[in-house]
Amino acid sequence: MRVVLTVNGSAFELDVPPRRTLADALREECGLTGTHLGCEHGVCGACTVLVDGEAVRSCLMFAVQCDGRAVRTVEGLERDGLEHPLQAAFSAEHALQCGFCTPGFLMLVAGALESDPAVLDDPQRLRELLTSNLCRCTGYEGIRRACERVRGLRPPLPG
Amino acid sequence: MIGARTLRREDARLVRGAGQYVGDIRVRGCLDAAFVRSPVAHGELRGVDLSRVRAVPGVVAAFAHADLPYLPPTPPMLDPGSIEGRPWPPLATGRVRFYGEPVAVVVAGDRYLAEDGCDAAVVRVDPLPVLLDPTEAAAGGVELFPGLSNVAAEREFGAPAGDDVWRDAAIVVEARYRQQRLAHTSIEPRAILVRPEADDGLTVWVSHQAPHRLRRDLAAAFGLEPDRVRVIVPDVGGAFGGKSETWPEYLAIVAAARRLHRPVRWLEDRREALGGPPHGRGQHQRVRLAADADGRILAYELHIDADVGGYPHTGAFVPLATSMMATGAYRIPSVHVRTRAVVTNAAPTAPYRGAGRPEAAFAIERTVELLARRLGLDAAEVRRRNFIRDFPYETLTGFTYDSGDYAAALEVALRELGIEHWRAEQARRRAAGAWPIGIGLCTYVERSGVGEEFGAVEARPDGTFVALSGCCSTGQGHETSFPQVVADVLGVDPALVRLVEKDTAVVPSGVGSFASRSMQTGGAALHRAATKLVATARQRAAEVLHVPVAGVAYRAGAFVADGRSVPLAELAPLRAEDTFDPPEAFPFGAYAAVVEVDPELGAVRVLDLVAVDDYGVVVNPLIVEGQALGSIVQGLGQALYEGVRHDADGRPLTLSLLDYLLPTASELPPVRLAETRTPNPNTPLGAKGAGEAGCIGVPPAVLNAVADALGLDDPQDPRMPVAR
Repeated sequence: MRVVLTVNGSAFELDVPPRRTLADALREECGLTGTHLGCEHGVCGACTVLVDGEAVRSCLMFAVQCDGRAVRTVEGLERDGLEHPLQAAFSAEHALQCGFCTPGFLMLVAGALESDPAVLDDPQRLRELLTSNLCRCTGYEGIRRACERVRGLRPPLPG
Repeated sequence: MIGARTLRREDARLVRGAGQYVGDIRVRGCLDAAFVRSPVAHGELRGVDLSRVRAVPGVVAAFAHADLPYLPPTPPMLDPGSIEGRPWPPLATGRVRFYGEPVAVVVAGDRYLAEDGCDAAVVRVDPLPVLLDPTEAAAGGVELFPGLSNVAAEREFGAPAGDDVWRDAAIVVEARYRQQRLAHTSIEPRAILVRPEADDGLTVWVSHQAPHRLRRDLAAAFGLEPDRVRVIVPDVGGAFGGKSETWPEYLAIVAAARRLHRPVRWLEDRREALGGPPHGRGQHQRVRLAADADGRILAYELHIDADVGGYPHTGAFVPLATSMMATGAYRIPSVHVRTRAVVTNAAPTAPYRGAGRPEAAFAIERTVELLARRLGLDAAEVRRRNFIRDFPYETLTGFTYDSGDYAAALEVALRELGIEHWRAEQARRRAAGAWPIGIGLCTYVERSGVGEEFGAVEARPDGTFVALSGCCSTGQGHETSFPQVVADVLGVDPALVRLVEKDTAVVPSGVGSFASRSMQTGGAALHRAATKLVATARQRAAEVLHVPVAGVAYRAGAFVADGRSVPLAELAPLRAEDTFDPPEAFPFGAYAAVVEVDPELGAVRVLDLVAVDDYGVVVNPLIVEGQALGSIVQGLGQALYEGVRHDADGRPLTLSLLDYLLPTASELPPVRLAETRTPNPNTPLGAKGAGEAGCIGVPPAVLNAVADALGLDDPQDPRMPVAR
């Protein structure tokens, strides 16, 4: 099937089988390998991307469902060569070790910053947000601290 | 430099999604592989029909054992005696011995097509009785390998105490513990990409912990000279012991790639990963401890039946590590350990973070606490009365503890926890009939490092340095921490030092990263290589300056004598190497946990957790604290949430992350880290190794706390069903 995905502002015209997941289309057809696959059944969240601003598991969506929609991946976090504040915060707080789950966490929190930044002001809501994704290396504390670090910065995130 | 909280260099690419894991590598013409796996846990394999598989559109090839009859057997990781007469064919033939054992490999244009192919395979198996319990399997009846005992290895350490010791002791404590199987669950599962080269060699990109061993194994298996095999480890998405091995799938992928003359990759999926191999832990333990009325331990006996799964190749040596650490932090005059590695119809086990030491600490630490309870003594005081205090200390199981101050670590833990406050709160709740809380301790000793490691430091004419290491980062941050070590010795800015590791074509030899050995052994090798580099360069500088070598001083990248100076860069290129084989080191620490138990649901909540670790010299506290926190949460997973489960037929019930429960951010308890610092006396760097402590200290501390909360005198494992 022919679809057009707008990924990080660029249009990708793809011809994909109906069963191809968004994650595989991003990685294989679009060449954007920053989106990682950790479980392929929607639990670990490593493949989290934003579709029309909403955080989704790209392993649970088909590419054809995204025809005409705007997708943002970790490769689209930087603006004009400048790191997104979350990226700097993740490094500053040692919120990553192996880095495999990191793009998913970044997109999860970036999506929240964009749509509902108050999540970061409430420790309980932040904890619930971070519970969406799995990390096996850090024990989550660095990730939590990184989120606190960007609280109040609330950068605009044009889609 | 050493001791600086330097932010990690690795992060710059990883936070941009610009890391390169095996699945991110694009090699022209590469095919995807998937495996047809055994649908039963034990049986005679009667037939594998792949004719329909080969007709599936997009399938390039499909191979069963009969199609690759020359496939070499899977090599053992250690303890080769355990595999005598127990070959592990990479694709099953004759018998299948665990659910999910590879039966055929299907290669196709992409993984969707390869899995279509797998669906078309017809596998006929006549089921045999299934053995899942190692103690039952050891008793015989059904033989996994006909004509051979299910006990693949049996060893004893120490000597049995006389009957009089047990008879005359004021108290004898007996207990049984179960170490459930755990799934490693690195978020990146196993992954390998093999490209056959025109010279009959191989280039292998693999998510691994020990590339040089894999090179050796693959070269030996396929009759190649080692230098014809290049193993490259790109970014690795976590490993935890499950990526040190030469797995059957790797041999099958190499064989398929060589047969097809095409690059082939296998990216394991989560279902395969959770099904195992590898799994970790898996021990039944029986302990007996004799003590006098003051709680001084007189004798300790530990019997282990380790469930090593269908093949002993990767797991049989792990219980030996448990055996040798059996007595932990205590001076015990009589010790006897008997360990059996028993094959069962579960997936083969392998080292999992801690690799035998968590099991040892669990047994002794639960038992010491039980002893205190039975005697009505304070558990901390019983520990103090038994601690080893003189170093070096030779254990009766064959190790020499280098240094330590176990009592000091315990005092820090008790102070940080505020134990008086929690005891008062415990009493208040008891009086009020509120949900009970309990306090549990663990004072552990672990072993870090094993074997030698390679390090080299090269001075370049542009003033920079290249450090080469035989270690293999799987996410720890060697690109940051190893240059800190080298820069510290050289007195230069760490930014001038670049690390190269994880490529067998560039690093001539190496062992890898496991057993908390990277800094303890690899870091020390780099320290020595950098020291050698200065010595070599000093000789050259003396020549240039026409002065005696002894008159040349080295400071911050330059040699000075008689008021003249020669920069090290002017003497470049210069290189110094070292292969260092220090004795094992023995990091230690004390953990204290407070838990609250809902007595009706059995739910356990950790209210407070203090971890005091002594890693010796710490090179980068940021990274080491990250290792501590990460391993603490994995330890919490073992204590309260994680466990591989099977049905009666040996089919795993935990094949998704909805069934195998990893700790999430919601399970993260309040954690406080503290440190004591006793440098490793056996290396110039003084690091003892970090990374596995939390997996060792947390489970006994938390379960001791649960037992304390419930006032359990019953020595059975108090692990509760947990509502999340």
